[in-house]
Amino acid sequence: MKKYDVVVLGGGPGGYIAAIKSSQLGKKVAVVEKDKLGGICLNWGCIPTKTLLAYAKHFQDVLRSEDFGIGGIDKSKVYVDIEKMMLKKDETVNKLVSGIHMLFKKNGVDLYNGFGKVIDKSHIDVGGENLSFEYLIIATGSKPYIPAIDGLKESFDSGKAINNMGILTQKEKFDKVLVLGNDTYSVEYATFYNSIGTDVTMIYSDKNILPQYDSKLSQTLERQLKKSGVKLVNNANITKISDDKITLTQNGKEKEFTADKYIVFYGIKPNLSGLESLKLEKDEMGFILTDENLRTSLPNVFAIGDVNGKMPLAHVASFEGVIASENICGIDSKIDYLKIPKVVYSFPEIASVGLTEDEAKIKNIDYTVGKFPLSANSMASIKAETAGFVKILADKNMYGEIIGLHIIGNDASNMIAEGVGLMNLEGTIYDLAKIVHPHPTLTEAIVEASLAAIDKPLNI
Amino acid sequence: MRFEFQFPDIGEGIHEGIITKWLVNVGDMIKEGDSVAEVETDKVTTEIPSPKTGKIVELRANNGDTIHVGDVFVVIDTEGNAEDVSPEEIKDTLNEKKEIVEEENAGVVGEVIASSEVIAPSDENKENNEDKKDVKKALATPVARKLAKDLGVDINQIVGSGPNGRVMKEDIIKASEKLQVGKQEITLDETIKTASQAQEEKLLIEDEKIERIPLTKIRKTIAEKMTQSRFTIPHTTAMDELDVTELYELRKRYKDSLREEEINLTFMPFIIKATIAVLKQMPEFNSTLDEENDELILKKFYHIGIATDTDRGLMVPVIKDADRLSIVELAKKVDEISNKAKNNQIELKDLKGSSFTITNYGSIGGYYGIPIINYPESAILGVGRIVQKPIIKNDEIVKAWILPLSLSYDHRIIDGASGARFLNMMKELLENPEMLLLKA
Repeated sequence: MKKYDVVVLGGGPGGYIAAIKSSQLGKKVAVVEKDKLGGICLNWGCIPTKTLLAYAKHFQDVLRSEDFGIGGIDKSKVYVDIEKMMLKKDETVNKLVSGIHMLFKKNGVDLYNGFGKVIDKSHIDVGGENLSFEYLIIATGSKPYIPAIDGLKESFDSGKAINNMGILTQKEKFDKVLVLGNDTYSVEYATFYNSIGTDVTMIYSDKNILPQYDSKLSQTLERQLKKSGVKLVNNANITKISDDKITLTQNGKEKEFTADKYIVFYGIKPNLSGLESLKLEKDEMGFILTDENLRTSLPNVFAIGDVNGKMPLAHVASFEGVIASENICGIDSKIDYLKIPKVVYSFPEIASVGLTEDEAKIKNIDYTVGKFPLSANSMASIKAETAGFVKILADKNMYGEIIGLHIIGNDASNMIAEGVGLMNLEGTIYDLAKIVHPHPTLTEAIVEASLAAIDKPLNI
Repeated sequence: MRFEFQFPDIGEGIHEGIITKWLVNVGDMIKEGDSVAEVETDKVTTEIPSPKTGKIVELRANNGDTIHVGDVFVVIDTEGNAEDVSPEEIKDTLNEKKEIVEEENAGVVGEVIASSEVIAPSDENKENNEDKKDVKKALATPVARKLAKDLGVDINQIVGSGPNGRVMKEDIIKASEKLQVGKQEITLDETIKTASQAQEEKLLIEDEKIERIPLTKIRKTIAEKMTQSRFTIPHTTAMDELDVTELYELRKRYKDSLREEEINLTFMPFIIKATIAVLKQMPEFNSTLDEENDELILKKFYHIGIATDTDRGLMVPVIKDADRLSIVELAKKVDEISNKAKNNQIELKDLKGSSFTITNYGSIGGYYGIPIINYPESAILGVGRIVQKPIIKNDEIVKAWILPLSLSYDHRIIDGASGARFLNMMKELLENPEMLLLKA
């Protein structure tokens, strides 16, 4: 039996980072992974999705190149070769996955390829081999959540309904898809398909497309999606799904929709297989309960990433892996979820950190808000991508400390990092207003928003 | 050889003091143990004894200057003339210094004599000392800095919880809660407003003829303690008049004969005795509320603080284990500590650790008062002047000696009825001195 200080169950973005960090802090570490390293993020999630979106963006740019004086492109001849796109995407994915293998070697992390079944709170079985551990980091991730809608399961079985696994192995382009649900992935795949010329209809039960984001961001995105040809069916209650059609009621009226494929994203549920013997405490949704140090109800067992359901994002999982490793190694550190950014890679992108206006109201915070439209930003004009705005929230009673930054715009995913940095350093809008930004850049809009929150912006 | 005498750590967390009076002049010869200066700290005024015999060659501070622990404030020539010290020796002494610093524990006044280290006289050394003070600037976030300033927290004293020890907002909030500064939730807008109002008032006042007197350390400490007590503890006060005619007679009978033994028998020892007897039955009055853990700490010792009026301000010397002293011993002790406090000879250890406090404003002529609890105790007994009054006894108006008592107590942990019961028991013991003999 091999003895380890730390065994990490799952080699996704949470698990592999936790393993490297623990090893760097002097522990003897093993990772148990039943599939490919990199988890959903690298193989079936963030990386392939964003790769496809980047290609789709290129395609869109080609289509509008005439606007910028680039001639000679016959739009009727420009097309998307899905099969080639997928191959190119696989190249990127494989390169990144092999990078993790290299990192494991470099950091002395042992990899066990096989299904890990936890025997008790200090032993795990991997395909007949028994490993002992002092600490266990659970990073088993999640599975897609399939709601109990009449006929949905059958549609999955027949291949009519697909999710990321199905999409990423497709070789042909669809003419028409229905996107079900209003999760981040729904929006991203709707954006992808719409951009490569597929007819897209989004069907979801909420009023807004991204209810967990600032409502103005969500509304702006809805406008942009509609403008680019995506049909939105909100407040929809799906009554029946069959391979022929989807039946739903919207505002009391019954409607029917048909398509080549149903793209389905209804969020996630925790992947708890192999953990049964631990009898860990769970929350009401079934996710493993953890404290701010990522410790579960067992003192030597930590749970990071999707399996704890806190914020199912790869960068959260990775950071949780760092926090768990540090706590295992006696460094008291914790995670503050209010200072973690989240991004939707739609066109335009959405990025957000901290409290939304609604949340600030609920928390009874006396806040000030500053908004600046990208239409007044020079770089946005240069790139001819002026849709969107920056919105900043500051706590009036805490010297104007920045408590939220919400951006919708072409490069929001990169812009948000500034807000995250400032918030982690407890910066104020007054600090931000005095930070000189290079010109012309999109980030100038963040400074202008802070000026708006204080008094008046300069460039509008 | 020159000896640079650093202001020693006199213990109890004191890290600075004000030189109120030099007791030596340059050129004076002093012996080890002779006092060099009188220093006022936030807790006590004390004399600092010299650790060496020699000639005073330099005084590095003026009267009224603040000196910090570790500052060189006197230079003594221990062998008659100053010599230069070689660099190796400087190194040696610096190493030595390090070791000594590690060994040195918080001392007490009077015990500092041998522990001060020899430091070579060099300019670099002086600079080092100054640098040390400047360098200690905390790594902190913008919000934490502003918050610390507004809450009166010394940010440089805080260990930050952020990356690299950065002081975060939360650390300041925690530190401020610990200091118990401003227990009520004041929104910052309001503090800004009141600050500007105060500024306006200041301007108005400055037109008038006024004199501005900087607060002494002791006054500042009193102010802080009073604020802390008044705004942390919801006070309530019970009052009663006690007919102490019999006690008056008893004291009268013995006070002259005791005076021959140089014992000044006042009413105070009787009151202390009675108080302890009651405290034993009602332990919540001899307790402290532990707010952090939501627990009541009952004290099984009876260290009685005696609030004393001195010309430097209020001091509360403590009679330790007062329950083990007889009335006569208590009389002696009360005399001794109050005289020490008045003559500024009190030692820091005599000002600490009380579990219950008695304040006797009667000695100055006061009748009733509403005493403020000596935080973190749970109660304080105010004693007024004993006067002769007409009272009705058995349907007749008779003369009686009346002792007024005011008992303030922490209403969070002690209910009103208990206050009345406390005074009833005091009444039983002090109105019938025999009971005091039997029960106390």
